[in-house]
Amino acid sequence: MKLPLWRRRQDEELEEELAGHLQMAIADRIARGESPDEAARAARLEFGNVGIVKEATRETWGWIGLEQLAQDVRYAWRTLRRTPGFTIVAVITLALGIGANTAMFSVINAVLLRPLPFPSPAALVAVSSTDLRPGPARSISMSLSWPDFFDFRNKSHTFEHLSGYRDSSFTLVTTTGSVHVVGAVVTSEIFSTLGTPPAIGRGFRPEDERAGSDVAVIGDALWRSQFAAAPDIAGRTITLDSRPYTIVGVMPPAFQFPIKFPAAQIWITLAVDARVENPGDTPITEQRGAHFLKAIGRLRPNATAESAQADLDVVQAALAREFPVDNAQRGVRVTPQLDALVGDARGSLLVLLAAVGCVLLIACVNLANLLLARGAGRGAEIAMRKALGASARRIVRQLLTESLVLAAIGTACGLAIAYGSIAALVRWSPVDVRGLDQVALDATVLGFTAAIAIVSALAFGLAPALRAVRADAAPGAQTSARATAGRAERRLRGLLVVAETAIGVVLLVGAGLLLRSFDRLVRTPAGFDPDHVVTATFLLPETRYSYPRKVAFYDALLADLRALPGVEAAAATVPLPLSGTNYTISFEQEGGSGGANRESADFALISPGFLRAMHIPLVRGRDVTPADDDAAPRVVVVNEAFARVYFPGVDPIGKRLKLGISTTEAETPWREIVGVAGDVRSRSFRDPVRPAYFVPYAQGLISPLRVVVRARNTAGIGEEIRKLVAGRDREVAVYDVKTMDQFLATSVASPRFQAVLLALFAIVGLMLTAVGLYGVLAYGVAQRTREFGIRLALGAHPGDVRRLVMRGGIALVAAGLAAGIVAAGFATELLAGTLYGVSRLDPATFAGVAAILLAVAALASYLPARRATRVDPITALRCE
Amino acid sequence: MARLRRHASRIDLLQGTLDLLILQTLQWGPQHGYGISQAIRLHSSEVLQVDTGSLYPAMHRLERQGLIRAEWKMSENNQRVRVYQLTAAGRKQLAAARSRWTQLSEAIAGVLNRTGESEA
Repeated sequence: MKLPLWRRRQDEELEEELAGHLQMAIADRIARGESPDEAARAARLEFGNVGIVKEATRETWGWIGLEQLAQDVRYAWRTLRRTPGFTIVAVITLALGIGANTAMFSVINAVLLRPLPFPSPAALVAVSSTDLRPGPARSISMSLSWPDFFDFRNKSHTFEHLSGYRDSSFTLVTTTGSVHVVGAVVTSEIFSTLGTPPAIGRGFRPEDERAGSDVAVIGDALWRSQFAAAPDIAGRTITLDSRPYTIVGVMPPAFQFPIKFPAAQIWITLAVDARVENPGDTPITEQRGAHFLKAIGRLRPNATAESAQADLDVVQAALAREFPVDNAQRGVRVTPQLDALVGDARGSLLVLLAAVGCVLLIACVNLANLLLARGAGRGAEIAMRKALGASARRIVRQLLTESLVLAAIGTACGLAIAYGSIAALVRWSPVDVRGLDQVALDATVLGFTAAIAIVSALAFGLAPALRAVRADAAPGAQTSARATAGRAERRLRGLLVVAETAIGVVLLVGAGLLLRSFDRLVRTPAGFDPDHVVTATFLLPETRYSYPRKVAFYDALLADLRALPGVEAAAATVPLPLSGTNYTISFEQEGGSGGANRESADFALISPGFLRAMHIPLVRGRDVTPADDDAAPRVVVVNEAFARVYFPGVDPIGKRLKLGISTTEAETPWREIVGVAGDVRSRSFRDPVRPAYFVPYAQGLISPLRVVVRARNTAGIGEEIRKLVAGRDREVAVYDVKTMDQFLATSVASPRFQAVLLALFAIVGLMLTAVGLYGVLAYGVAQRTREFGIRLALGAHPGDVRRLVMRGGIALVAAGLAAGIVAAGFATELLAGTLYGVSRLDPATFAGVAAILLAVAALASYLPARRATRVDPITALRCE
Repeated sequence: MARLRRHASRIDLLQGTLDLLILQTLQWGPQHGYGISQAIRLHSSEVLQVDTGSLYPAMHRLERQGLIRAEWKMSENNQRVRVYQLTAAGRKQLAAARSRWTQLSEAIAGVLNRTGESEA
């Protein structure tokens, strides 16, 4: 065996020390007059066997630190192997608890804890707009307009850099055809704000923001896939949306902004928004009412999110005075960028973390219970070791080492479980949460796992270990001691069962509420029929498609699609309900007060036949028709919510509205309301239906539209759309082909994820609780074998004995149930914001949980109870 | 001849007394292992013969317990030797062990003397 280095040196020193001793003895003898030969012989004889002396000395080293620990571990391992049943149950219990916690924490780590991938990420803040009017919308972060953003940028003092940006996407013409590339429109200082310069070439300069300066920075992935990683890329010209752009830089591989999926690969400046198509048009960069920007800022070293908030509040107040129409009802909000990105995910992830924590707690309580039972069985062993002189401390340490060894094995299995479940977790989780693509078992997660493993080992091992040494070891007192210690211990173990039942109840109630809430959510009528609907979209390049040509393109395409066999209806719209995109545009009512009291409502462009294609009912008036073209009088269709809120008790048909966005501010037309459509859940199932209006796309303003096709068989429709579009223009790339069902699934992905996970944790918790209850009762029955034997011998009916045991079990569970229901009453407060259509104190859920728990308890107590009735009185009396 | 006499008069040391003897020996100054064994033999008029197989384990154990401290030094005849000396904890331990020993030996002496009287 190879000794560790420090040990080998110690060995050599001992050798030298003993050799020195011998030499001195010889020297002394020679000095006394013995001959050298005789002296050496005599001294060696006196010294004895050098090997034995060395061995005896080495043994004294062994009883310290690491070696003693190694000995404890070896002993623990042997002990655990002697009771494989106990060890397997304990390891599985721990593996479930620790594995679930590790997996959950790895998600939390990636989403909430890992800093943003930019230098000094703590200095990054998100700047957004808020609606100051009372109502639920107050808490929502809203977009900024370019003019407002410019004022924030120029008049604030707390930012090193402040950048505006909006998501965008482009059609990039390549040698092989056209590809759709996700990108962003940004202000010139974006890369300085993020602290990340391009890897090749340069970033943007202030003059790049002016109309006509068509420059682009591309991402590393695009550079490799489309430009063969050419080192001389800077200065090359590419065609984006049929317009030439000059590439000035390439970002490093790890750069990702905006942080979302799929990642942006092209960045251009707001020069694109400063452009005007027709002379006399107002560019978007000058429209204060066009809110579609986000902003990110880097704080100055001495500034905080609070001081920046105060700084921008001053600017916002000035804006409200100067431009009351657009800004009187607006506020500004500064939030740390990480918080802004994580958003709602934080709450639901923390709820899930609390839930897995409960699972681990149940696992620990269970193990404590198992160890207590085991400790009672090991009384003789402990007493023997005490009698042999082991100190109480030494025994506690040995027992704790056993717990630690258990925890270590459980953790190893738990890590395997975590590793396997992380993949499933990520696949099942909603895609729009940042960092989920980077969930991994990294050093932070492993550290967390090690910490919970040690804490659990102490939690479940300490009480049983202390109990074991406190038990009286005097052999004479054994019989009476067993009776009393047995009773005290039964009480303790009963308490543990009550505790784990209570925790299990909290978990079950939480899971039950989320499942019911999810059920309510998916049963909520969407207001349209999502089955058999395929959607797709594409960009028509502005350079080659003037507004009338776009309309003509869509008209012709929709006619082609309607002619396909099996197609029931084809239409186009933007934004599509439940697609995650929403437009809110302010409007003015004819005869209203106008000015500062402009309201805003959800807005969509629709083609003729859209309502029919989506099976959205028309309640009053008429639908948009092909006759509502650019030459016809301007019309608008509103939804029922709009009619209810803005025309209470009045027929809205014939009333007129003016929209707060236009190509030319001067000639914003009045639009007549011609129809009222049924309400549609356009944002999500959770959000109440908001007032909305629909404008015919032939009289509209925004592109690209999304094509909607309803067909008996949706299988080949996406390909058909692709073919038809390519047939009309080979430079146009169709993308994002999805069924309406997929959009629906995405919109409920978050609540489903949360409900399914919590249900899973609750089931694990329930199973562990059942195992714990079974263990306690079975052990209790074994301890009371003699009592049951006597009862049966004295004529007790087996049914009586069975009832006695089962009543004990049910009583424990009932106590736990009561405690758990009270605790759940408080704990569900955490879910209050998440639940939909169900009260957090929903009686049906609580009753259901009680029924499930009692049923499981009955089952878990039935088996030990049956065993109690099978006790043979003779055997029972002999067993002492 | 000499060896035989020593064997005849050898007394097995009680558990723990060897520690006391080592500590007491070091009270007079730092000493190496051979020196300690010689000192114990001399001061006990050659009655107590310390076995090296007991001496070295005992000294290493005392060192672990922090009662004595060891360091390598050069002896007069230029040999590297491991020299032990008492630590503060060792001094305290020695005082306690001495008083216990005194009590014990007085107690035993008392019992023995009484027995002797009654026999007389």
